[in-house]
Amino acid sequence: MRRKGYRYLISIVVLFVGVHLVQVQIDYRKKIENLESNLLLMPGQIAGSLVLGGFKGLAADLLWLNMEEYWHKGQHYKILPLLEAIAWLQPSYILVWTVGGWHMAYNIYAEVKTPEEKQYWYQQGIEFLKKGLAYPFNANKYDIYFELGWTYYHKGKDYPNAVKYLEKAVKYPHPEYVDDVLAHAYEKNGQIDKAIKQWEFIRDNYVSFFDIATRMIHDLKTKGKATP
Amino acid sequence: MKKMWTIAVNTFRESMRKKTLYIILIFALIVIGASKLFSFLTAEEELKMIKDVSFSAIEFFGALIAIFASITAISTEIERRTIYTLLTKPIRRSDFVLGKFFGVSLIIFVNFILTTLFFIGLLLFKKSIPDIEVFKTLLLIFFELILIGGITLALGTFTTDAFNIICSFFLYIVGHLTSYGKEMIERTENIVVAGLADMLYTLVPNYENFNIRDKIVVGISVSWGYVGYTILYGILYTCIVLLIALYFFQKREI
Repeated sequence: MRRKGYRYLISIVVLFVGVHLVQVQIDYRKKIENLESNLLLMPGQIAGSLVLGGFKGLAADLLWLNMEEYWHKGQHYKILPLLEAIAWLQPSYILVWTVGGWHMAYNIYAEVKTPEEKQYWYQQGIEFLKKGLAYPFNANKYDIYFELGWTYYHKGKDYPNAVKYLEKAVKYPHPEYVDDVLAHAYEKNGQIDKAIKQWEFIRDNYVSFFDIATRMIHDLKTKGKATP
Repeated sequence: MKKMWTIAVNTFRESMRKKTLYIILIFALIVIGASKLFSFLTAEEELKMIKDVSFSAIEFFGALIAIFASITAISTEIERRTIYTLLTKPIRRSDFVLGKFFGVSLIIFVNFILTTLFFIGLLLFKKSIPDIEVFKTLLLIFFELILIGGITLALGTFTTDAFNIICSFFLYIVGHLTSYGKEMIERTENIVVAGLADMLYTLVPNYENFNIRDKIVVGISVSWGYVGYTILYGILYTCIVLLIALYFFQKREI
């Protein structure tokens, strides 16, 4: 029996060595595939206990539902810590960054009174979006680049930055309207040649944009201006 | 092999007679079905929530079924004294333990298939065809449940039911936190502490390896390499706990 016991012990040790080697491979793959989890120090008992069980997604969903509730009640400021918490729990959930950036740069912006406050919330929105780009899996999608480009273009009238981020957005698979906004941004930024080229690209590739692209190219070539 | 299979089938049949497992299964289906209530959200948000809730329910209720089915698998035989009749027959103790393990695995498999089909049905109802990433997540959840079942069964060979339940749940929670422990090990400067912590990191089952659902629901792909290594991890760890179960059951005076 004792001899058999040693055999069990040796087999277990050998298997643990195997487990260790496999774990090293898993950890390596987690690193290169961005599958690592953040160290969580979440406030809130329900969210905290769910996180303990490995249910981060579920905790994020509960917070999102809370956010929806505040949203419908018009309690815009209460949404802010929830946005941060959801982003912390699930940083790869792109919607939280785009909705968060838009919420700050548009909704809270509209709610505050002084120009200083408006500028502050516009900047906060921009910063929140940029924070989202710090995560590699978000940086490989068009969404946040577009939201940044659009916020710079539409809210900030900061056309050089709008062009910068929209040009990044079109590098990744994206919907047709992203190209459309980029064309407008080129024009507003004074890059008329690039705007014409962009409209030509849109005309040749997107059937639904054919008429508007043709008109834009015509106006840009004749008047040097197309966007109202 | 035939004896082992007979024990496995009997374990499965016996568990099917228990109401607890049905109640857990019904709860799981209710929770998965309840995720349809999020229809007030946008389509993208709703789909994410359906997946989040369903994956979590399949794992959590699956873990409950794995734990409860494994706890009673051996202890019931001892309590009812049926084990004495069994072991007087030409059945090796290893056949008995492995038969019990395969029986529990069969219960886990059937429950897993039922909840998964319900979840897939819900996705199809929402006109969302599940992609390969969904199946990778489910595959890893299944191997995690098998490991949970194996660990509980092994604990059952040398502990009481009450202690087993506490231990299994404790390991379930700790097993999901080991990844965070790894982060702390990397920051430790003391070599001895780091070495001990690293050893502990290997010894404690790392259930977080199997958790890719948080990434999948937001559209991140996980390589087959990762899935393959994690399955291998699950198999190796299950072998270890089965060896522990065999060792203690061989030593047990019955």
